[in-house]
Order: sequence, then structure tokens, then C-alpha cells
Amino acid sequence: MSQNVTAMSKRSLYVTVAILTIIPFIALAIVPSYVRTNPEIGGLPFFYWYQLLWLFLAAALFGLAAILYNKYGGE
Amino acid sequence: MLALSGILVWVILLLIFIFLGFYGRRWKKGDMSKLDEWSLGGRKFSAAIVWFLVGADLYTAYTFIAIPSSVFSIGAIYYYAVPYVAVTFGIAMWAMPKLWKVSKEKGFITASDFVKSNFSSRNLAILIAIVGIVAELPYIGLQIVGMLSVLTVMLSGIANIKLVVDLSLILSFIILAIFTYVSGLRGATLTAIFKDAIILISVALVIIVALVTIGFTKSFTGLPVKYYHILPLQVNAYWSLFLMSALALYLYPHAVTGSLSAKSPKSLRLSQSLLPLYGVGLALLALFGILVYGNHAALTFLKDTFVASSRGTYVVPALIFYSLPAPLTGFAFLGIFIGGLVPASIMAMSQSNLFTRNIVRELYPKMSASREALTAKVAMIVFLFIAVGFVFIFPLSYSVQLQLLGGIIILQTLPSLFLGLVTNKLNKYSLMAGLLVGLGLGIYWMEVANHFHAWTTTLLPISSSVGSLFIGFLALSANLIIVLVGSLVALPFRKKQ
Repeated sequence: MSQNVTAMSKRSLYVTVAILTIIPFIALAIVPSYVRTNPEIGGLPFFYWYQLLWLFLAAALFGLAAILYNKYGGE
Repeated sequence: MLALSGILVWVILLLIFIFLGFYGRRWKKGDMSKLDEWSLGGRKFSAAIVWFLVGADLYTAYTFIAIPSSVFSIGAIYYYAVPYVAVTFGIAMWAMPKLWKVSKEKGFITASDFVKSNFSSRNLAILIAIVGIVAELPYIGLQIVGMLSVLTVMLSGIANIKLVVDLSLILSFIILAIFTYVSGLRGATLTAIFKDAIILISVALVIIVALVTIGFTKSFTGLPVKYYHILPLQVNAYWSLFLMSALALYLYPHAVTGSLSAKSPKSLRLSQSLLPLYGVGLALLALFGILVYGNHAALTFLKDTFVASSRGTYVVPALIFYSLPAPLTGFAFLGIFIGGLVPASIMAMSQSNLFTRNIVRELYPKMSASREALTAKVAMIVFLFIAVGFVFIFPLSYSVQLQLLGGIIILQTLPSLFLGLVTNKLNKYSLMAGLLVGLGLGIYWMEVANHFHAWTTTLLPISSSVGSLFIGFLALSANLIIVLVGSLVALPFRKKQ
């Protein structure tokens, strides 16, 4: 029983970190979604600031995945 | 020419840099007659140090010369570097700890060591080593282009400028070679932290000054649409550039060296996962390529001093020069200058590891540990100066193409290394065939895309509806098809091998 629980939570851990890792890839691979100028921020077109924002989001998502995996997933 | 106060700051900081380079020998002290002590810092760096060290490979001339230069002269498509650094660490945080574990267990120092053991093929490992060494060459070449550009702007106007610039460059490389010989990766790491602190402060200063005095609205005014965002026909070029660059980064020998210096898989994973933050500076530097259009003095200087084809290379130094007071300009220029030197040191070290471990050792298997370390140290010096020669022989206007060319070459090792981390069932002959065909096609498509003239683009036009694709993507696809089909065909015979 307890082994089943461990296997289940291992699996959900793997699925969680996989999803966290893949989100930035999918968001940025859909290039047409950010090929535009508006809305601008301080004169900077959407194209530029949107991708800049993803640097922070990617670090947050990857960082969370790394912390979860390091804590519960072994080495 | 930069005012004396600026030059003085530059020189003083350079002296501190050299001191740190030599002091590295004593830091986290180890037996430098062993190769993994010299070139991997004894595998004991914490997450924070690895974060800086691998990040240092990011803040190179690629970041402050190649990308801003291309954004300036070609447009928004070269902002691909930002999604590239946003996603590349999502690959590294899973692949590199895996490589770290098997390397620690079996004493591997290079990716070729791993390939040799995983596929039990000496020839494949030698081939991967040669490809790694060659792919680093244009990347080091790019660092030198960056260093030359900062010296040229700093000293512009003096007599015999070319001679002075060339001599300063060669002198710096001699000093670099000596302290890398003495301190190995420890020296590179200490100086990397120093350099990144300088660069981060400089980028912040220039951005603040430029935003206060110019602003984006003024800089974008009058620029064509291709500067506001990429054009619909560039979508395929864009994703192929950024995804392939993301896959290529950790195939480079210098990125492997940085990763293997971590003290544990967990600290390595954590440091990689947070590296997209390092890309923020890269994104801001890319925007220098736009901001310079709003700085009248810098733009006039660029147009009056350099021909159109090489103008872009000087964008960042020129914008700094005309935005900051002399002492701070000297500060920032030193950051860019050693921003080329430090990666060149790490890259030459990783080349020499491959050369020693995977080529010389194959010829002389009985080489002692201390002889191995000595061979690597001498080879490092040779590789540094080959790169210097490379730059003096070839005219280098489109510097980003140098790095992308290295990318096309190194991508062909992906099946052996990254697929090798998840399976050892691939057929070694298919891997070799795929690698060679990928290289051949890559170079052939480079020639086609550039109409058999000087290489100024790495994008191959496909059709009027698709637009262009990065040649690295096409060559890797061909390579992967050969590896997968070949391995499937060979599967029934596998047991007999």
C-alpha cells in the first residue's frame, strides 16, 4: 500500500516538473502570438518586453521544478 | 579617444583582474598536477559559483557585440537570443546533472569520455572531440572581435591605432595564457565573478542614462517595421534560431566544463534553473542596438568612423562612450574587454581537455596523470593563439555569424551526447554517419545560402510561404534521420556485435 502511494506521488512529481519545464518552451515557440507592437511599455514594443518578461517567468518555473525535484525526487 | 581618467580606471581594473587570475591558484586549493583539479576546479563549486561561471559563458562578446550589432543592422529577428536564453536552461537542468553523475562516478572530464564509454566506440569519441575543438574556434574568434572593437573605440583618434590595438590584444592574451596555465578553472571563475559584476553595473547605468535622456519612443521613431517586431515571414527563422541555439549551448565543450565543476547534481540543477535571470542583461544589451538610434552623437560617430558592414560591431562601445562620463566608460569598457578574455580562457581549456583526453591519450594510453595535465596546459596556450591567428587572417564583419557557424557544427553532436544520456541503444556507425552528413550538409547549405561568397547569413531560404530556416536545424534533422533509421536497421544485428 505504502509502496503504491510512493509510486503515485513519484509519478505526480515527474508530471509536475515536466509541465513546469515545458511551459516556457510552448509559450515562446508560438511565435505569432507575440509578433506585434502594441501594447507598448514606455515606448518599448510588445515583442520586446513580452519576451523579456519570459526570462523572469522561465526562471520562476524552472526554479520551482528544480526545488521540487531536488527535495522529493532524489538526485 | 577616451579621456585619461577613463584609461586610468581601465588600467587599474585590468591589474586587479590579472591579480585575481593568479590568485585563483590558491582559492579552494587543490593538486594542480591533476587534470580535473586544473580544468574542473576539483568538482567542488557551489550552486552560486556555478551560476556565475556558466553565466559567464553567456556574457561574452556574443552578448555585447554580436547580438546588439545584428539588432542594430538587421532588426528584431536577432532578439532570438532572448527566447534562446529563456529556454536553454530548461534543457540543461535535466541533462547536465545526469552527465555530472556518470562523469563523477567514472572520472569523465569531457563529453567525449562519456560518448566513448556509452557507445563503446573510440572512433566516435575522437570524432566528437575534433568537432568540439573546431566548433569552439569561431566562438573564441568572436570574443577577440569584441575585444578589438572596445579597444578601437577607446583609442579612436590616436596615431597608429591598428598597431596599438593589435599589440594590446596580443599582450592581453599572453597574460591570459600564463594565468590560465597557473590557475586553471579557479582563475577563470574568480575573474568571471569580477567581470560579471562590472558588466551588470555598466548595463544598468547605460540603460538608466539612455532611458532618461533618450527613451524608447525617440529611438524607435523613423525605424522600419522590422525593428518593431519580426515580420510574419521571419517566424520560422525565429523559432529555428532560438530553439537550435538552446539545444546547442550545452553541447559546447566549455558549457560541459562549467557544469562538471559543480559539487553535486542538486546544486548544478538549481543553478541552471535560475540562469534565465542572467539573460536579462543580455536582453537589455540587445536593446542597445535600438537605443543607439536615439543617441545622435553615438550614431554620427558610428557613421563617420566605420563602413556600413562593420558599423554594428561598435554599437555597444559607442553608446557607452557617449552615455557615461569617462571614468565610468573606462569601467564599462574593461568589463567588455575581459568579457571576451574570460570565456576565451574557459573555451581554450575545454578544447585542451578534449585534445588531451580524447586524442593524445588514445595515442599514448600509458600517459601519467601529471603528464596529462601538462599536455592540457600547453595545448590550451596553443589553442588560444590559433584563435588569435584566425581573427587576424579572416576579416570578421558579421560577428554573430561566427557563433552561429559554431552552433551548426556543434549541433551535430546532439544525437551522441543528449540522446546518449537517455539510451545506449543507438548504433555507433549510424551516429558517425549522421554526424558527418550533418556537417557536410551544414557547410554545403552555408555555401548555397551565401551564394558561394563570404558567409554573412546562416539562414537558408526555403520557399515564399515558409520563409527561411536556420541551417543548423536542417542539418540536425538530416543527422537525426540517419541516426534513427540506421539504428533501427542495425537493431536485429545488435546482439552479435
